[in-house]
Amino acid sequence: MEILVCIKMVPDTAENEIEPNSDGTDIERDDLVYSVNEWDNYAVEEAIQIRDNIGGSVTVVTAGDENSEEILRREMAMGADKGILLSDEAFLNSDGKGIATILRAEIEKGKYDLILTGAQADDGAAQVGGMLAAMLDIPYASLVSSIEIIDDTRIKVGREIEGGNREMNEIDLPCVLSIQTGINEPRYVGIRGIRKVASLDIPVHNASELNISPDTVGEAGSMVKKIDYFVPEPGEGAEILEGSNEEIIEKLVDLLKSNGGIK
Amino acid sequence: MTQILTDRRDVDFVLFEQMKVDKLSKHERFKIANKKTLKLIISEGRNLAINELFPAHVAGDREGCKFENGKVIAPESFRKPYKLFQEGGWVSLAEDIEWGGQGMPVAITYAANECFNAANCTFMMYPELTHGAGKLIEKFGTDKQKSLYLKNVFTGKWGGTMLLTEQEAGSDVGAISTSAVKNYDGTYSITGNKIFISSGEHDLTENIIHAVLARVEGAPAGTKGISLFLVPRIRVNDDGTLGEPNDVVCTGIEDKMGIHGNPSCSLSLGDKGNCKGTLLGKENKGLQAMFIMMNEARLTVGVQALGCATASYLHALNYARERRQGKSLMSGKDQNAPSIQIIGHPDVRRQLLTMKVYVEGIRSLIYYLGMCIDQMHVSDNEDEKAKYQGLVDLLTPVAKGYVTDKAFEVCNHGIQVFGGYGYIKDYPAEQLLRDCRITLIYEGTNGIQAIDFLGRKLGMNKGKLFYDLLGEIKKTITKAGQAAGLEGLAAGVEKAVEKLKKTAGILMKAAVSPKALNAFAFAHPFLEVTGDVIMSWMLLSRAVIADDRLKTKAGKKDIPFYEGQIKSVEFFVESILPVTSGKMDSILAMSASIVDIQDSSFGGK
Repeated sequence: MEILVCIKMVPDTAENEIEPNSDGTDIERDDLVYSVNEWDNYAVEEAIQIRDNIGGSVTVVTAGDENSEEILRREMAMGADKGILLSDEAFLNSDGKGIATILRAEIEKGKYDLILTGAQADDGAAQVGGMLAAMLDIPYASLVSSIEIIDDTRIKVGREIEGGNREMNEIDLPCVLSIQTGINEPRYVGIRGIRKVASLDIPVHNASELNISPDTVGEAGSMVKKIDYFVPEPGEGAEILEGSNEEIIEKLVDLLKSNGGIK
Repeated sequence: MTQILTDRRDVDFVLFEQMKVDKLSKHERFKIANKKTLKLIISEGRNLAINELFPAHVAGDREGCKFENGKVIAPESFRKPYKLFQEGGWVSLAEDIEWGGQGMPVAITYAANECFNAANCTFMMYPELTHGAGKLIEKFGTDKQKSLYLKNVFTGKWGGTMLLTEQEAGSDVGAISTSAVKNYDGTYSITGNKIFISSGEHDLTENIIHAVLARVEGAPAGTKGISLFLVPRIRVNDDGTLGEPNDVVCTGIEDKMGIHGNPSCSLSLGDKGNCKGTLLGKENKGLQAMFIMMNEARLTVGVQALGCATASYLHALNYARERRQGKSLMSGKDQNAPSIQIIGHPDVRRQLLTMKVYVEGIRSLIYYLGMCIDQMHVSDNEDEKAKYQGLVDLLTPVAKGYVTDKAFEVCNHGIQVFGGYGYIKDYPAEQLLRDCRITLIYEGTNGIQAIDFLGRKLGMNKGKLFYDLLGEIKKTITKAGQAAGLEGLAAGVEKAVEKLKKTAGILMKAAVSPKALNAFAFAHPFLEVTGDVIMSWMLLSRAVIADDRLKTKAGKKDIPFYEGQIKSVEFFVESILPVTSGKMDSILAMSASIVDIQDSSFGGK
């Protein structure tokens, strides 16, 4: 099975204190440490497991600047077979639709049976997967928490539903799935994997190679613009529990019980 | 999320700005070790450390090792981390790819291992000793020994140990009595009892390869009659499959102050007359062979101590930023003044800055030594190789003795910053102190390190190594002296270097005079003052880079980091070097009281 996983580079929340920039339009991006979006990492793991079970290949793709190559290399060190970087100045500041447009162009150049995205990104809006499926006119399932391959043409996917419920769906291939965390346990990247990909060249595709008109993507093509970014003021009703660990736990349990959180 | 193991910004700073480790990639041997690859290694090492090794730190301490029917059961919580660590190829990061290593620079190994040790130094004893045993096989093994053992050891599939210590042979390893008798088939039958064997028996690996010091029948007495043997716990057939168990029996494990997750075993060899080993290297040359590895093991202990220190510092720092207690001293009698975070109190700040300067200075020293080893490997100039070897030889007792002393002090401050909470097991500070304490003892106590430094290293090549080192320090002083604003700090370090040179000269002469005992009574203080001067050198070198960045291209978030570098050396020069100078006065006075006092005058009976 030919699987494509769309991934994204995001600020690493384990390595950075995230704070708004001075004009409040974005986060402060100076000197941030970046890593692969957590949800995407689960998607890549799922793709690797499917490939290892039934054969095929896993390609990881991202739209971003040259630094994004690092996350492609990281996911290849994890086990993906190929990486493709989609990069062009025209792509800068694309909204969700713009990113989906760029990804669609790459996908149409190849032949993929299964396209995976993360359910959302740390800094995203959980919209690219759905848009991409619509643009490609193929089936889509969101928040996927299990995948079972039926045959070359159909798969069965489990989805998380509000309240802890689940549903199962049969979907025709090719399709787009947005993957929820917890679907698997992503493997660690070891040194062997890092060594293997250290000197590989990762192809870069630009707007003209993808036949993308610059006015449909980037700032020019964006219909959604971020106008403010801020940390909300703390609201009323917050309570700091004090005491020893045991006392705090006891108070917390009482609170949860009295407010119906636990029975 | 706040950082609790190592400060990533500082690790990157030392690797790429101070040591420029990525420049090694211009050499064929390290051609894939470009900056991106090295950063990825550090990132993925941190991932594994924080998610798998760190949670097992407390768990391993509370579980400990179990000794049942001659078998040692390692902590359950170590099983998954060991499997992941081994599969990830982290056991022998810098070794030859042909033998299961990963061919990376030693400097990056030290950086990765610092983080692993910060997460769980007890766990790290398993792979680190295994790696050390592998180095012995690599260096002294025959082709057959290598093919039978090396790959499985370097990859961590099998464990490895060193069997030196016996009941009557601790620091005096020449006193060992374990014997070896040559058999008709070329193997040796080993008989004896070893104690304090870290990872000597456990169930994390299917086999353990012991490197054993023993005395061949008829060998000269003392250190000149010691040979080294490879003794597998389970014999290995010629085709590499596992054979019969060897006659190596664990008779007990120690109940220790810390490092509870790693067993310190008593091993009985040849109790049934059937412990077979093969000679590693040449007969009667075992101690020299073991010491080649021991020197490397001493640097490993330095990394272990650094791991404890950085974790203790960051835990204390985070706590001091969150914990509110007491009002600002400046709030006077204002009863309504708010409680402040304890990082606002001068005494807490003093302790935090003390921790910061040692952690940073030690990190620089350790990575520097890694770079010296790497440069030795890639250099094609014999003089240059000799220079780097000399620096490693000279600085090893500092990186073991001084570093572990100071790392333990850092852990001690760590407890103090937490106050009462530092003394209880709800917080990691007390365990870090307990786990760190062993580093001052094993692989040669710090007293032995001080004797090695004064008695052997200082006088090597008529003191050339030491004077070469002072020459390297002077280069940094010159650079700092040319940077506007750093001149005073450069002068402070220079003054300390000059006084150290004078102190070394006088002490070296005394060490070969009838007053030798008096001189050696001050060997440890001398190692300490040397270490202080090296710390000031490393911190000054950091400040030179930071100063340049601040004047040219520091990003917004980098400014406090670089300013912190300059504050570190300022604190060290202004507040610690004067004490160092006083200690040098004390060494120069070389009080005879230590030697002259009668044993009975110590009292107590």
